[in-house]
Amino acid sequence: MKTDQDITSLDMRDAFFEKVYEIASSDKDVVFLTDDMDAYSLRKFKADMPDQFINIGVAEQNMINVSAGLAMAGKIVFAYGIAPFVTMRCFEQIKVNLCSMNLGVAIVGVGAGFSFGFDGPTHHGIHDLSVMRTLPEITILNPSDALSASASAEIFYEIKTPTYIRLDKGTYPYLGQPTNSFDDGFRIVKPVQKVNIVTTGFMTSKSLEVVQFFESKGVKIGLIDVYRVKPIPYEFADEVLKKSQQIFVIEENSVNGGLGTEVIEIAAKENSGTAITKLGVEDKQFISYGSREWFHSLSNLDVHSLCNSVQKYLNMNRD
Amino acid sequence: MKLSNKNEQNLIDMSKWVRLQVLDQIAHVGKGHIGGTYSCTDLLVSFYYGNILKFNASDPKWELRDRLLIGKGHACLALFAIFKDLGFISESTFLQYGKDGGALGGQLDINTPGVECNTGSLGHVLGLGAGIALAAKMDQLKYNTFVLLGDAECYEGSVWEAITFAGEHCLDGLVGIIDRNRLSVTDELQDGALFNNFEEKMNGFGWNYIEIDGHNFVEINEGLNAAMNYKGPTMVMANTVKGKGVSFMENGVEWHHSVPTEKEISIARKELS
Repeated sequence: MKTDQDITSLDMRDAFFEKVYEIASSDKDVVFLTDDMDAYSLRKFKADMPDQFINIGVAEQNMINVSAGLAMAGKIVFAYGIAPFVTMRCFEQIKVNLCSMNLGVAIVGVGAGFSFGFDGPTHHGIHDLSVMRTLPEITILNPSDALSASASAEIFYEIKTPTYIRLDKGTYPYLGQPTNSFDDGFRIVKPVQKVNIVTTGFMTSKSLEVVQFFESKGVKIGLIDVYRVKPIPYEFADEVLKKSQQIFVIEENSVNGGLGTEVIEIAAKENSGTAITKLGVEDKQFISYGSREWFHSLSNLDVHSLCNSVQKYLNMNRD
Repeated sequence: MKLSNKNEQNLIDMSKWVRLQVLDQIAHVGKGHIGGTYSCTDLLVSFYYGNILKFNASDPKWELRDRLLIGKGHACLALFAIFKDLGFISESTFLQYGKDGGALGGQLDINTPGVECNTGSLGHVLGLGAGIALAAKMDQLKYNTFVLLGDAECYEGSVWEAITFAGEHCLDGLVGIIDRNRLSVTDELQDGALFNNFEEKMNGFGWNYIEIDGHNFVEINEGLNAAMNYKGPTMVMANTVKGKGVSFMENGVEWHHSVPTEKEISIARKELS
């Protein structure tokens, strides 16, 4: 049995694929499809369970349709590819064939945010959360570390309904456990204060750096990791929103339609009176090429810029 | 199994009955796609009454059933009539067709027993069928997966992604049937590119190819039986006539979704009786 520490030390993509491997090795009905996308930790799956692994080729729409057919015949399917291609390119296939029939298929997208920054706007995963969020039946998981990535595979295997898992890579600091289990949908990384950061995915550990910066100056800011972007857990309103004066929603996704929009919608519905600031990616397509860090600086999503944004608010709201 | 004269007559009678049911419902509610429904009525009747499809009327989800997926879901009314006759749905459900909030509308959905998948957007179902046929192969089960496509539907790129995939994976028991009525919603289909040398195209993709008269029950029976026994996927090109069975509707592009007048209904009824 692996401890939290063992899992946290893994690359989150490896942690996810290890869990998928474990699930598939005990259930022959689990099938893994890829649109010719590789991952080192996936090779073991391919080698050990070739009958459950199929490279569909560069045909994402067909991958979703074949996934639907497999699921209609009782299979549980992971369909893996680059985030914008396995989501937005296949939007209708997902809507009609997975969601409207509520089939057990997990779409696994890599290249979250600007992680494929150098490959240009076609590869940027900055609109996928906004677009996928419009599908009523879908569950969206945006894990932020190896623990939540591993849990994402388990959550899908448990619910067996249409799920989008937005997968990242790299190792991240320990972010703790949710109050009950990963079924909670969010975890409080730093206790809720008057001013809180609500974030998801890759930006959670960046936000932790922001919180730690202010902590070192004696200012307490709460940090909430919403790794299940849809549906937002019911408890979120009572446990976070209504207790907050100010929330910064930090996400590596367009400010148009992502987590920030979702939090504002809930605040409006709950009439919580919370001030909400969206810190995300500008509503545009970036016809430019560069590293993830470069895009973050451009979007004021680097730790320094994020600290400045929070500091500005604090300066204006001194008691 | 060869179709006997008696069985052929039964199928002819059944097709007339289905067409009349379709006519009555469209006349009753003023909605429906009569032309494209009539072009595939004989095919649908063959599936359910011609010993093609293995199914269990009391258990529409029987695991070993043959699957029939419909791409051109707007031809649903013929299927509803068949489902009523087979007992999948009740007479009262059938009569809900076209009513606001009724159980049956202008497309198919899985809330209706016997329906395999939701329809409405063209070009998806061959990929779904390929997935089902792949699952059958993985599970070493012998059921067949039939996919009925409209000919205009074959312009969708996703149809060709599925053709490529099924050919590469040599999916036994996957049978596509193209309702080749040569008319789309607004126009006559040109043969210049899409269907030109179609047999060679399909063979090149690793598919078997059969061409039949989609209104001749003997040919339908022989074609589909052959398709089931071939190695790898098979495409059956069924040459049909849009509006088949009613003289003034046949080959008329306007009958994609026109609703007949009272006078036309009475003529059509006579011709179908």
